[in-house]
Amino acid sequence: MASWRRSFRLHLRGGTVEQDVDDEIAFHIETRTRDLIEEGFPPHLAREEALRLFGQVEGVRRTCREIGVRRERGRRWTEVFSELRQDAVFAFRQLREAPAFALIAIFTLALGIGATTAIFSLLNAVVLQPLPFPEPERIVYLWSVDRGQDRSTSPGNFFEFKNGVPSFERLAASVKASFNLTGDGAPERIDGSRVSAEYFEVLGVQPALGRGFTAAEDAPGRERVVVLSDGLWRERFGGDPKILNQAIRLNGLPHTVIGVMPAFVTLSSSDSRLWVPLALPPEDATNYGNSYLRVIGRLGPGASRTAAQAEVGRIAKRLKELDPRSNVDKEARIEPFLDRLLSGYRRRLLILLGAVACVLLIACVNVANLLLARGAARGREIAIRAALGAGRRRIVRQLLTESLVLSLAGSAAGAGLAWLGLRGLVAISPGGVPRLGQAGIDGTALACALGLGLVASLLSGLVPALRTARPDLQSTLKEGGRSIGAGSPRDRVRSGLLVAEVALSLVLLAGAGLLIRSALALQNVELGFEPAGVLTAQLSLPEADYPETERAVAAVQRVVGEVARIPGVESAAAVSILPLSGSDTSSRLDIEGNPLPPGQELHGSTREVTPGYFHTMRIPLLRGRDFTAADRKGAPKVAVVNQALARLAWPGGDALGKRLAYTGEDDKPDWIEVVGVAGDVRLGHLEDEEVRPGFYLPMDQSDLLRGDISAAVVARTAGDPAALAPAVRRAVTTVDPRLPVFEVATMEEVRAASAATARFNMLMLTALGVIGLLLAAVGIYGVIAWFVSQRTQEIGLRMALGATQGRVLAMVTWQAMRPVLVGLAVGVLGALAATRLLGGLLFGVTATDPLTFAGVLAVLAAAALLASWVPARRASRVEPSRALAP
Amino acid sequence: MAKMDLLQGTLDVLILKTLSWGPLHGYAVVRWISQQTEDALRIEEGALYPALHRMEERGWIEAEWGVSENNRRAKFYRLTDLGRRQLNAESESWQRYAQAVGRVLQTA
Repeated sequence: MASWRRSFRLHLRGGTVEQDVDDEIAFHIETRTRDLIEEGFPPHLAREEALRLFGQVEGVRRTCREIGVRRERGRRWTEVFSELRQDAVFAFRQLREAPAFALIAIFTLALGIGATTAIFSLLNAVVLQPLPFPEPERIVYLWSVDRGQDRSTSPGNFFEFKNGVPSFERLAASVKASFNLTGDGAPERIDGSRVSAEYFEVLGVQPALGRGFTAAEDAPGRERVVVLSDGLWRERFGGDPKILNQAIRLNGLPHTVIGVMPAFVTLSSSDSRLWVPLALPPEDATNYGNSYLRVIGRLGPGASRTAAQAEVGRIAKRLKELDPRSNVDKEARIEPFLDRLLSGYRRRLLILLGAVACVLLIACVNVANLLLARGAARGREIAIRAALGAGRRRIVRQLLTESLVLSLAGSAAGAGLAWLGLRGLVAISPGGVPRLGQAGIDGTALACALGLGLVASLLSGLVPALRTARPDLQSTLKEGGRSIGAGSPRDRVRSGLLVAEVALSLVLLAGAGLLIRSALALQNVELGFEPAGVLTAQLSLPEADYPETERAVAAVQRVVGEVARIPGVESAAAVSILPLSGSDTSSRLDIEGNPLPPGQELHGSTREVTPGYFHTMRIPLLRGRDFTAADRKGAPKVAVVNQALARLAWPGGDALGKRLAYTGEDDKPDWIEVVGVAGDVRLGHLEDEEVRPGFYLPMDQSDLLRGDISAAVVARTAGDPAALAPAVRRAVTTVDPRLPVFEVATMEEVRAASAATARFNMLMLTALGVIGLLLAAVGIYGVIAWFVSQRTQEIGLRMALGATQGRVLAMVTWQAMRPVLVGLAVGVLGALAATRLLGGLLFGVTATDPLTFAGVLAVLAAAALLASWVPARRASRVEPSRALAP
Repeated sequence: MAKMDLLQGTLDVLILKTLSWGPLHGYAVVRWISQQTEDALRIEEGALYPALHRMEERGWIEAEWGVSENNRRAKFYRLTDLGRRQLNAESESWQRYAQAVGRVLQTA
């Protein structure tokens, strides 16, 4: 109906809406005038009367014109939409007739868009978002740099910096601390910090409830106050605001809750859950040697980091003179707060982003290739439609609509994948990643990925659309839609895309391969003990409850005794720090009869253990004996060293019976005898390059256990160690109901946690690598299948002329593999450049590991060969008669 | 009988009723309505056109240019299906309204 009206109008007039209205009114007036005259009205007054009867001509005209313009505009939009809908419906129909093509294209786009969006959203939340503090760029860390290593700062140095750097508006110190929270509910181990009074002002945050610390509270004797994190407040105290001004027991001492911090202060799951005043004792003002404070500062408004750096440099120089013994090797450095927070994450996430960018590119290349192939295959159909009178613009628009429909469907699926992917990533990521909890699908990222997919599919839709819509109908129809003559420019485009796809996949796979090798190497690291069958549990004995170390050690021993009695436990022991827990303490050692040259120091990791530790952990005692109950306080002091220390301290000799000292004055060392040599154990991290030198002391005899004492109980069990966890908890409660038992885990779990980050890296890159490989294989298959379909005639001709099946197979496969081989070569070069970025994430393998590269090349080549062999075989079975039939 | 002022919105239903007999141009609609109401309703003739155009926009009527009985180019309006439904609904409610008012006036 609409078209009928439109054409009718077009024939009768070429007028506009305005003209229509004028004509209509004029017709009315004229007809009225004529009728009036016919009715006997004086002719010279008739027109005037007609106008009077009509009323306000101008008003009517204006109103009608407005309505008319509005109506026309609406009609134009309706027409555009209806044509768009027609095109979309047509596109859907076309795609339904080629479901394999449509599904592959949509799936490809969805993977690319989904993966990119998920990773970018993660990166955005963790790295790119500014910190939630006011003017976060003014917050900096102040490090004492000891021979290139960022170190904590001593209280004496802290006060020097605090009073001597005008660029700092405020400077605050903190030290991590753990607290036993007792009282209502089960005792709990809480990670927190001791912070100086100005700490929250440096961050620029106000408590959500109550107040922060006053300067008066930041002093010994006045420090029994606590500020809770939002998380702890909600979980432990039910978010009850009445908690303010009430006392809670921390490490056995009552602390008054004075404030609750807002949730945004907690940046990662490993952040502090409560804060208490640092309360440095006055004598610490001149303590330059004991560096344990982490110092953060807020630069004054307008103060530059460069100026602040110069100022701290001057203070560091002064400190060298003030206390040369501790400060001679120390420099000072300031570092933006965010940089430190993200160190280690930024690069890892950027690598992931690079990897997903590869996937997205491969996906786009794939879709482009698919659409090019489809456009070529539809040459005949389009030529027929053009011959039947379809306009070029209309054909192009229809083809583009098809691309649009594809990319929209792909994008929708991709958004879903991104959502799933992000949830998966958050779930499997190792703990402690800052701000991970705030990660949500990022709108910008999604829009960018959508845009890229759209551009890719529109561009690759446009090329064949323009080409096939060219009115060169005759030749296309004559050729029957089959173009003879490979090597046309478009073939080169397709080959180029194939090269790019293969090269990108190779880069991805090489990175994944290296990380897989790293993870395997980590899996096979010689631990030095047998983790299977061991249950571990952490204890913490606060000084307030156990003022004397002896009593604390006795309690640990009683716990060990109780645990050993649990049915199913073969043996039990305790150790100050569990292997692979990531923590370490070390002492400077003197070796009897082997004084080190000045300026050189020997450090050994220190572990206090109870008798039976080596047996329980299955750490081999290579020489000498284990500790016994007789190695108690007052008895001759003894130690067991590990092989690494034995080699360092007594190279070539026997360590047994030799003496070392970890305490005492320089001139009067407190010698202890080595009674055993134990096998090397990974003391700190799984990724440590080599085993650190270390020594074990009987827990009874150690002079290093002071203050709040923590220890891990280890129990070797006959059956499943995890099943005994409740019994171990009960055993601890029997000894002291106030003691929290935390981090109850099997040793296998501790080991898995130690490898979690490496495994996460590997999983991510492997997943992306496999996606890339799949997409590349699909892409290669698509191109070769198209190639074969285009050349059926030629192949048939060759076979009719005597070419064997084998020859055809070889020819087609070779055609396919040529760009693949180029892609592999380009990819190797790219991978050699790219894998260098992985440097710090690799373990036990170099960034150019030949085995990995060879393996990846083989995998990719095999996939390409398979992808081209399938269509090639089809080609070799072409019946010459069929291929040549008109 | 004195001339009555036209109630708001009543013009629409009168136009629809007029067009229900067949396509007419605007001038014919005016004439038809005046004849049917014996000039009892006082309509400013021009007021008809905005009403027509508005109804065209709503899709109740549609227009085409044709040739009038005196061989002039004129815009003809015809009722659409939507307009016919509108007319039925309007006249029904109009009659109910008139009856209700009539009943009130009789009892008074």
